[in-house]
Amino acid sequence: MAALILPAGLLVLLLLVAPMVMLFRISLNEYSPTQLMIEALQPGNYLRALADPYYQGVMGTTMTVALSCTAICLIIGFPAAWWLARMDSKQKSLAVILTVFPLLVGNVVRSAGWMALLGRDGAINAALRGLGIISEPLQLLYTQGAVIVGIVAVVAPYMILTLSAVIEGIPRNLEEAAANLGAGPLTAFRRVVLPLAVPGVVAGSVLVFILCMNAYATPVLLGGPQFKMMAPAVYDQFVRGTNWPFGAALAFLLLMVTLVLTVLGSAVVGRRYKAQ
Amino acid sequence: MGTLQLQGLTRRYGANTVVDGVDLDVAEGELVALLGPSGCGKTTTLRMVAGFVEPSAGTVRIAGKDVTHAPPHGRDTGMVFQSYALFPHMTVAGNVAFGLEMRGVGKAEREARVLEALRLVRLDGLAERLPRQLSGGQQQRVALARALVVNPAVFLLDEPLSNLDAKLRAEVRVEIRNLQQRLGLTTLFVTHDQEEALTMADRLVVMEGGRVRQVGTAEELYERPADLFVANFIGRVNALAGEVAAPGAFRTTDGTTLPCPRDAAPGRATLCLRPEKLRFQPWASAGVPAKLERTVYLGGQTEYHFTLAGMAVMALRETPPEGDRLRSLRPGDQVTLDWLGEDARLLPEAAR
Repeated sequence: MAALILPAGLLVLLLLVAPMVMLFRISLNEYSPTQLMIEALQPGNYLRALADPYYQGVMGTTMTVALSCTAICLIIGFPAAWWLARMDSKQKSLAVILTVFPLLVGNVVRSAGWMALLGRDGAINAALRGLGIISEPLQLLYTQGAVIVGIVAVVAPYMILTLSAVIEGIPRNLEEAAANLGAGPLTAFRRVVLPLAVPGVVAGSVLVFILCMNAYATPVLLGGPQFKMMAPAVYDQFVRGTNWPFGAALAFLLLMVTLVLTVLGSAVVGRRYKAQ
Repeated sequence: MGTLQLQGLTRRYGANTVVDGVDLDVAEGELVALLGPSGCGKTTTLRMVAGFVEPSAGTVRIAGKDVTHAPPHGRDTGMVFQSYALFPHMTVAGNVAFGLEMRGVGKAEREARVLEALRLVRLDGLAERLPRQLSGGQQQRVALARALVVNPAVFLLDEPLSNLDAKLRAEVRVEIRNLQQRLGLTTLFVTHDQEEALTMADRLVVMEGGRVRQVGTAEELYERPADLFVANFIGRVNALAGEVAAPGAFRTTDGTTLPCPRDAAPGRATLCLRPEKLRFQPWASAGVPAKLERTVYLGGQTEYHFTLAGMAVMALRETPPEGDRLRSLRPGDQVTLDWLGEDARLLPEAAR
């Protein structure tokens, strides 16, 4: 039986663990403008990244965007997931296809669409000006809001599908039993559906949060040159600055922050609902 | 507690009428069973009373109040679901307390009433368990307690025994009936099991194809079924096609004359005879000749299957003592069948 996981295990070992180990080794090296890097074992790159207000700001922005996106996905995703889970099986396959439809379009293509919509002369500004509501175009593109909207549109399907799989496992007649005992729809949701959906909420949020923390194309295209999140910052160090050790340190900081927040978040939610 | 009245209750799904004009009055403290094969509309009827299905036409009155369009949480019903539908994340006490909480009952009173309800179903001591730590029968009793504790005007049971094994089912049947009578609960009970309905209900409603076929007590339905469907569904019956030829004489399609009630109206009909009313002698005598096909020994009783005028009939009687002549009957033997004309019942032909 153990042999069955061998192919997948080897793949992970070769293509994920090995590069990560190498990357971690690189992050301890010293940067050299002439030789790319000098072999060393020192924490300087991490200390610099942690002390630099610029990177503190980038990490702050990344966390703000990721947490906002996760919260928004949860709020808009739960009703949609419930609706999907309680649907007749006939229409459900169509609804699932519609839900994953945004994923059929690549990140870059989709962002180009958002740019056409949100730009100075984009569809929204044109419409508002045409209606006489505004005289000067609004700054919609290259804002944090644009990035959040853009990322939510990509990751919402993951949240909806994860949640609906869990909600489907909650017997429908539990909601009926709650209603029969005098609970209105909101109370039934709060007391019965939500607590039982917690595993889905945790799984969906973790998935979405990780995707958001590592978003690359959307922040670059919709955030513009002034707006920085961690994944593009890492890329800049590797490709533009060719400072591999510092880039590797940034990458590991991103990984650690994501990991800590994910573990903490699921532990807090899990404990709160286990108590009931 | 209150009464329950259904008037012309109807539910259509597109062109498909699942429940068709059901009228029913359940008196205070009465247990009425909705009985019928699967797909007869009994569960949909119950769900319309609970408010989970919106009626296409007709009215539902609970304790005199029209609740036809009230949401489920606005009706005073207590339902026990087929799968119990216990909240898996709440303890037994939490489950039972839920309805009281929704009604704004204070904590102290709530705890007292939960305890009392659990004692009623003999589950005190298990209050802090989770549903998954209980056996099927215990879960069933939690579901009962949860529905009872709020003193609903109408108590609804949706095949509550179908997930229990046969022995437990017989026990719980008695238990539910005792509780229902002791507390005087107005109850609507859905089942497809005629034995369950016969032993528990004050009155039975036999449904088929979304319509009510007959309403009555167990005796009325068994002894005076309104049609062939009811006769077949409640107990077993020998049904013979033919016509009433003269007072007390029924002629089958192939011309054999059989006893029937003297007051039967002449014309085509189906003669129905319960298996225990059929008598037979292992020799030629006054009566109808028939051939024994097989016997089925059931312990205290034995089934005798005959062919009479080309039609299969069955007699049920106490197993004769050892050494009795009847014990030596073998398939292929000729016998004489006989019954009292008044024991047969004539029903309209092709009732459906």
